[in-house]
Amino acid sequence: MAILETQELTKAFGALTAVNGVSLSVEAGTLHSIIGPNGAGKTTLFNLLTGTFPPSSGRILLDGRDITGTPASRVAHLGLARSYQRTSVFPAFSLLDNVWVAAFATGLSWSGLAWRKTERYAEVTARARQALADVGLAGKADAPAREISHGEQRQLELAIALAAAPRVLLLDEPAAGLSPEETRNMVALVRSLKGRYTIVLIEHKMDIIMSVSDRISVMHFGSLIAQGTPAEIQKNPEVRRAYLGGVAA
Amino acid sequence: MKKPIILLLAAVVILPMVVRPAIATEIWIFAIFGLGLNLLLGYTGLLSFGQSTFFGSAAYVAGWLLKQYGINAFLALGIGVGVGAASAALVGYLCVQRSGLYFIMLTFALNQLFYFIAYQWTSVTGGEDGMPGVPRPVLAGIDFTNPLVYYTLVSALFLASLWIMKRIVESPLGRILQAIRENPVRAEAVGYDVPRFKLLAFVIGGAFSGLAGVLYAMLFGIVPLEAIGFVFSGNVLFATLIGGSGSLYGPVIGSFVFIWLSESVSTLWARWPLLLGVAFVIVVLFLRGGVVEAWSRIGAKFGSWQSSKPKN
Repeated sequence: MAILETQELTKAFGALTAVNGVSLSVEAGTLHSIIGPNGAGKTTLFNLLTGTFPPSSGRILLDGRDITGTPASRVAHLGLARSYQRTSVFPAFSLLDNVWVAAFATGLSWSGLAWRKTERYAEVTARARQALADVGLAGKADAPAREISHGEQRQLELAIALAAAPRVLLLDEPAAGLSPEETRNMVALVRSLKGRYTIVLIEHKMDIIMSVSDRISVMHFGSLIAQGTPAEIQKNPEVRRAYLGGVAA
Repeated sequence: MKKPIILLLAAVVILPMVVRPAIATEIWIFAIFGLGLNLLLGYTGLLSFGQSTFFGSAAYVAGWLLKQYGINAFLALGIGVGVGAASAALVGYLCVQRSGLYFIMLTFALNQLFYFIAYQWTSVTGGEDGMPGVPRPVLAGIDFTNPLVYYTLVSALFLASLWIMKRIVESPLGRILQAIRENPVRAEAVGYDVPRFKLLAFVIGGAFSGLAGVLYAMLFGIVPLEAIGFVFSGNVLFATLIGGSGSLYGPVIGSFVFIWLSESVSTLWARWPLLLGVAFVIVVLFLRGGVVEAWSRIGAKFGSWQSSKPKN
């Protein structure tokens, strides 16, 4: 069944309709990719899903429950976590503290919030370490985030999202700006997360998309123009025209 | 790890022997004030230019109750903490809706609002003349009018405040506030209601300011109008920045430097704020971590010099 669903979701910024009547259905346990040219509205769609701003119209359903208009700080508690296209971490923090903050937010209880020492939250720390281990950064737990490489920051970006123990993981171009080798590692990482989480993935690199996705939705100028399996999408003439380049058609 | 605590205890004991007890007392009062500001400035990354709002409000309310009704000194301190927190809740609620320059200007504007209320409401505050006659009550046979006895009370409250603040900044709340300073957008996305946490930082900081305000009123026996003025807000900001806003002890050291300079140098040279200005420029340009950073840099230099020595 669909764990995350949008119905006629629309967001207009003045005269620009960035997301236009998008109806999307993400099945639980699948990896669902959203592709489309730059400016197609993919990141805006993520911003709507995570409550960064409310939609102009339409609805968002999580587990069949209407969560439209839920503010960003609440959305994380509902089990929706995201990573950012442009790395967005806590630079002065150690890697462990980066993920710790995210793990604490969605933790079982906030008791002792202003009084108990952070190291006494063993369960939170364990989840934080697990998230670092999941992305392969366990060995650098104590390094400050601002001193690690760009590739590692992308991994950390993902770990922060994982630390929230989400049910749906929204990944916005996890391989942005990575070298070919780092990209391969990231793909392997995303693949390893498949099945454990429901994943919605925005990506530009077609080889990644085609190899890891269960389903693909194609956006163009704010609207969905096609949905289907990777094989179906590759054959779809409209997609080829819009996205893969007119010459190929 | 325990070294700062030992140094502080030593300072608490030695200070009244080196400077007049009133100045020594003022140093710790100002340090409590700075601790409250630094939760906002250093930890949450919010530059509040209106901390004297909470300091002054608490001083006026508790001072008035002490003067008119002779209430218990500890009750007065409790009320000061409450008034500081409540006024900070009010001001904070309005300010956290905005960020950056607008935030700073709002804290400043609301400070001015409170200042002019105090200025105009002469029947209570005495306006420009201040509110004199705030007593230091005798409590359980202890006479707080003795400067050294009062110094003991203030330094004990300072150490307690420092301990409480240490616990707060080492708790999840402290880490969340720092996360907000580092990246408010991501802090929101991982599940923290950023404006509410900022408000919480305001309220806690306000409580500390309130405590300092009442202690200040009892120290000098008067609530001067300046206690709620913007110069006072600026002073605590300068002191904290000079000491180092990046660490727990920064405002304590800053308070020491600031009060000591203002009390000792001001008698020799009326233009002493010039020195303060120079110190401030140096900190802003070269030493963002203030005295605390300077100290650790010297320590690191000395340490590397020492460790390199045996090799030669």
